[in-house]
Amino acid sequence: MLTTILRRIGLSLLILFLVSVLVFLSTEVLPGDALDVFLTADDLVTMEPEQIEALRRDFGLDKPAIWRFFQWLSGAVVGDFGVTFIDETPVSEVIWEPLLNSLLLGLVITIIAVPVALAIGSTTGYYRGRKPDAVVSSLAIIGYSIPDFVIGTLLIIFFAVWIPLFPALILVFADASVWELLKVSIMPAVTVIIGHVAHLSRLLRAGFIEAMNCEFIERARLSGVPEKRIVFRHALPAAVIPSLNSVALFIAGLLNGLIVIEKVFGYPGLGLQLIEAVDKREVHVVQAITFLGAVLVIGMNLLADLSIIILDPRVRSHKNE
Amino acid sequence: MSKKSIISVLTHSPGTTIGVALVAIHLLSALLGPLFIPYGPTELAGPSLLAPGSSGHALGTDVIGRDYLTRLVIGGRTSIFVAMLGALSAVVIGGLIGVSAAYIGGFYDDAIMRIVDTKLSIPGVLFVALCVVGFGRSIPVLTIVIAVNYMPGALRIIRSQALTQVPLDYVKSARLRGESKLAVIIRELCPNVLEVVVVEFALRTSSAILAVSALSFLGLGISPPTPDWGLMVYEGIRQIYIAPWLVLLPAFFISTLVIGLNFATDGLANALGLDAARGLY
Repeated sequence: MLTTILRRIGLSLLILFLVSVLVFLSTEVLPGDALDVFLTADDLVTMEPEQIEALRRDFGLDKPAIWRFFQWLSGAVVGDFGVTFIDETPVSEVIWEPLLNSLLLGLVITIIAVPVALAIGSTTGYYRGRKPDAVVSSLAIIGYSIPDFVIGTLLIIFFAVWIPLFPALILVFADASVWELLKVSIMPAVTVIIGHVAHLSRLLRAGFIEAMNCEFIERARLSGVPEKRIVFRHALPAAVIPSLNSVALFIAGLLNGLIVIEKVFGYPGLGLQLIEAVDKREVHVVQAITFLGAVLVIGMNLLADLSIIILDPRVRSHKNE
Repeated sequence: MSKKSIISVLTHSPGTTIGVALVAIHLLSALLGPLFIPYGPTELAGPSLLAPGSSGHALGTDVIGRDYLTRLVIGGRTSIFVAMLGALSAVVIGGLIGVSAAYIGGFYDDAIMRIVDTKLSIPGVLFVALCVVGFGRSIPVLTIVIAVNYMPGALRIIRSQALTQVPLDYVKSARLRGESKLAVIIRELCPNVLEVVVVEFALRTSSAILAVSALSFLGLGISPPTPDWGLMVYEGIRQIYIAPWLVLLPAFFISTLVIGLNFATDGLANALGLDAARGLY
């Protein structure tokens, strides 16, 4: 088992390395180089060639790309993503508060969404093909078919415009207290939960059906184990453990949802920061956010796989993998 | 697949029939609708912010007086086109690479799967943001980005389907006949993973339509003045207190299209004995 775990960790590190190559390359393919983003057309006309050369040296642009890549990577692994073009604040400073805010929102959503999806998924899986399953499954399809930004906007129309319970736009600064953020995160959280619970419950339903079809369930039934015990003690663990991968994927998908929904409501998180950075072509900020997103996804997948290796007797006892 | 079985697949459950009907209505309205409407999509056709039901403008006008029905009917075209072309490229190219990886195996397979893992580790919107910063925003860039974004997922699913075929006798006998690797991949394996490819295409298309409209909403996708549902929702939010229909109408259009697509896909997958819920993302 130890070699399996070590190999899995090694694989994650390799993928993280490849991701950082990709993220770094994105700036290399820019027409021209980072200076063109930094300097305006006026600067290029008025500045002396020597000044521009000096700037190139400051940015390290006179060095080969491979040197700059390792320079960037060695910074990135300790959270140093360079500085912004506009006023040279460290990128880590720019994204720190929004990062915490997004993590808070994501945590609220995950804590609510995963158990709800598990309950819906296993119930519909148990009543597979019968009426409750057909109704809930149809609702689930509708749920994940409606775009996040549409659900969010509809909530705004219902609960801010027609029934003024919440403000239509969140006017909270990035350094607001946790309590203030939780108060304004209700509508964004509900929005993301609707779409993502629908999706995750479908995945968990498939896992549950697979588990219920297993031979050991049939044997438990034949040996007279009560139905309730079969569902909760036999089928559910067998369904949940392999589905941990789906939960990891769910959290990755959550990132996409968060970015959109932060824009809808004006929630001061990483998504809002990202869109702003794209508009201003703040390459270093976009790089940092993408890198962090990938770290989260890789970390979640690793965590899911390791949990499966440790928890699942079917995988654990398997010698080769 | 014979004609009769196609019809039976398309109507095999009430949900599927509703889905197929919704998609058909949307495609017809996007293709033929403009023939019946006297205004251009960017033409200033009347006073601004007319409510739906006004004479001459059945669904009213937007904030600068463009006919809203016209923009709604045309507003799906670009995103449907980008999504379908992107998804098609993703499943065709991804499928070919996936099948070849399954058949050839070894280092080639490993290398490709590591690249797939790498791409799958970057959340979609972040990947697009990175590309938009790098290449700017335009329809061709958006289409390529959508294709690249969905390729790894499709590749992985199609590869795993191909892996179930590789040990079978017909593949073995083709190899023993002395067929080249390329011939085995194209003539023997590809036809036998076609069903999965079709379902993947349907799944990725509906997902891509959602993605394109979300990107347009974020300002990373289709840019004004081209009418697009996602963009129209975004532009409508500013008038949400005085003219909520500017948001509600495009929201209704995009939602019904994707709901229809997903119901149709779900039915298609069920009829082929596959599970549509598996392998999204």
